[in-house]
Amino acid sequence: MDQLELLKKNWKKLDHTLPKLSQEEISNLIHKKSSSIVKWIFIISLLEFIIPFFLLLFVDFDEYSETKALGLYNFSIAFYTVTYIVIIYFIYRFYKNYKSISADTNPKVLMQNIIKTRRSVKHYIWFNLAMIPIISLVTLYKKFRTPDFLEKLPEGTSMLLVWFLTFVLVAVIITLTWLFYRLLYGILLHKLKKNYNELVYSNGDDCG
Amino acid sequence: MTEELEHRFIADLEQHQNIVHKVCKLYTNNKDAHNDLFQEITIQLWKAYPKFRGEAKFSTWMYRVALNTAITLYRKSKRTIKTQDFDSVLFKIESSEYDDTEEQQLQLLYKAIHHLSDIEKALVFLYLEDKNYREISETMGISEVNARVKMNRVKNKLKKIVNP
Repeated sequence: MDQLELLKKNWKKLDHTLPKLSQEEISNLIHKKSSSIVKWIFIISLLEFIIPFFLLLFVDFDEYSETKALGLYNFSIAFYTVTYIVIIYFIYRFYKNYKSISADTNPKVLMQNIIKTRRSVKHYIWFNLAMIPIISLVTLYKKFRTPDFLEKLPEGTSMLLVWFLTFVLVAVIITLTWLFYRLLYGILLHKLKKNYNELVYSNGDDCG
Repeated sequence: MTEELEHRFIADLEQHQNIVHKVCKLYTNNKDAHNDLFQEITIQLWKAYPKFRGEAKFSTWMYRVALNTAITLYRKSKRTIKTQDFDSVLFKIESSEYDDTEEQQLQLLYKAIHHLSDIEKALVFLYLEDKNYREISETMGISEVNARVKMNRVKNKLKKIVNP
């Protein structure tokens, strides 16, 4: 007999061996805290939105008088206006995607919605990563030309070296942020992506 | 209103709890893990319950939420240490009613199922619940052809695990 047929024959008989929870026990269960992956995705994504947002706020506040002195006032205003509009757009998208995650759709749609939510967070991270070199390089370009900075620079230091170190530093910051994000993304979505691919694609995977 | 909803939900779930226990049985292999998954499925069912409009049967709606929780939403808790083998506990009770060889074969089959992937377990579950391919494909969100192909693979895989 087919293995599954044997199981099926037995499946209904299983009923009287299964645990039976009383209404009271069920009532206790529904008030317990969920440990679902969606809750974690929501908390982590929220942190991912908030942290860069606050970092930008601090940069803005610190450098306000300096940007004026560097002649970057208009650039800063334009930069932060665009940045905040984009951030608000991302928060809206993230919220909409998050709301669409529901356990009573089919597994394929559920997994797609979770991946979509994480993807909008990913794009947001990319956006932040792209903003780092733009704002830092433009500000530093102006700063490196001020008499104040040139005076403090030890004599004989090549500007080429200064720029080289600046690029290395910016590259290190971007890489670290990217690596951290990849790690987080991997931990959260590894199992889900594997299951999603298995569910959706019927060809090419090994059945042994 | 909320209280009324809660009462209705608890009564519905009490009546149909076997479905959730059976999902837990396929996805976990010890008592702690079973209880943990049962709890998470109950929470997810309760969260989704206000949206349940009765268009589908309560049991059909439960299949979706329970399987989604087992496949995607549930994150295994660290405190679920492998203790006793739940299968053997269940089947010891039953073994007195059936002959030994069949019981042994069943134990082997349940062990084999625990080696299947999350998606494959879902297919096995729906198959055991006597769902046809159309219903399986609708519940899982895949095409009927894809459901058939995957089911055949599962059958072959089980055959290989049981008779290597």
